[in-house]
Amino acid sequence: MAKKRVIKTNYFGELEIDDEYIFKFKDGMLGFEDLHDYVLISEESTAPFKWLISVDEPEIGFPLLSPWHIDVYYDPGIKYDLEKQVLFVVITLEDENGEMSANMKAPVIFNIEEQTGKQIILPSDKYSTNYVIAKKQQTIKE
Amino acid sequence: MLVLSRKIGEVITIGNSIQITVLSYDRGVVRLGIEAPKTVPVHRKEIYEKIIQINRQAAKTHLMALKDAIANSSIKFSHLIDEDISGIAIKKLNNKE
Repeated sequence: MAKKRVIKTNYFGELEIDDEYIFKFKDGMLGFEDLHDYVLISEESTAPFKWLISVDEPEIGFPLLSPWHIDVYYDPGIKYDLEKQVLFVVITLEDENGEMSANMKAPVIFNIEEQTGKQIILPSDKYSTNYVIAKKQQTIKE
Repeated sequence: MLVLSRKIGEVITIGNSIQITVLSYDRGVVRLGIEAPKTVPVHRKEIYEKIIQINRQAAKTHLMALKDAIANSSIKFSHLIDEDISGIAIKKLNNKE
């Protein structure tokens, strides 16, 4: 029988996670090397973004987006198998101005057959670590 | 830290499979040639540090902030992108509005 874990998230309440939904990150995310278990959450109001939530520390959650939403010609330049791998980039918001950027240089690759994931740094210098995808619209000051 | 002096063209080996060659030195800039197996990632340290900093920032993103940022942006999302991956889908949250 599949094991379940209950996690308390910041925004999605309490979630019961079947083990089969857990993605194992052997090396963690960069800067979070101790966190190995993640779930991927889609929530309607922020679709097509997804949330990569740490099962061990559910207050840690990375917004992810398919890089091809940002750049249809995105070419990570690495060998990867479309049949069993899915690729996302990490999205950041600037505190001050709400500017949105994507880390096109270090995508997260999921292996959906093995339920594993890892963040890699692309060898090419073609892509930026903070590619601005949306600036907050200017509000007119009176 | 192990400190070694090398001349241009000389090599340092690390383990059985990594070789670092000093290619040139010019005005304070050393160019190194690195041969390593594909499984060993080699990057400038600043890139690592930058990505760690970005990940830390991303990890504390507030859901409402992302929602606002999406609403305020003019991004057009493609419906053609296949993102078939097992995740957990959550219906719209009941926000206090």
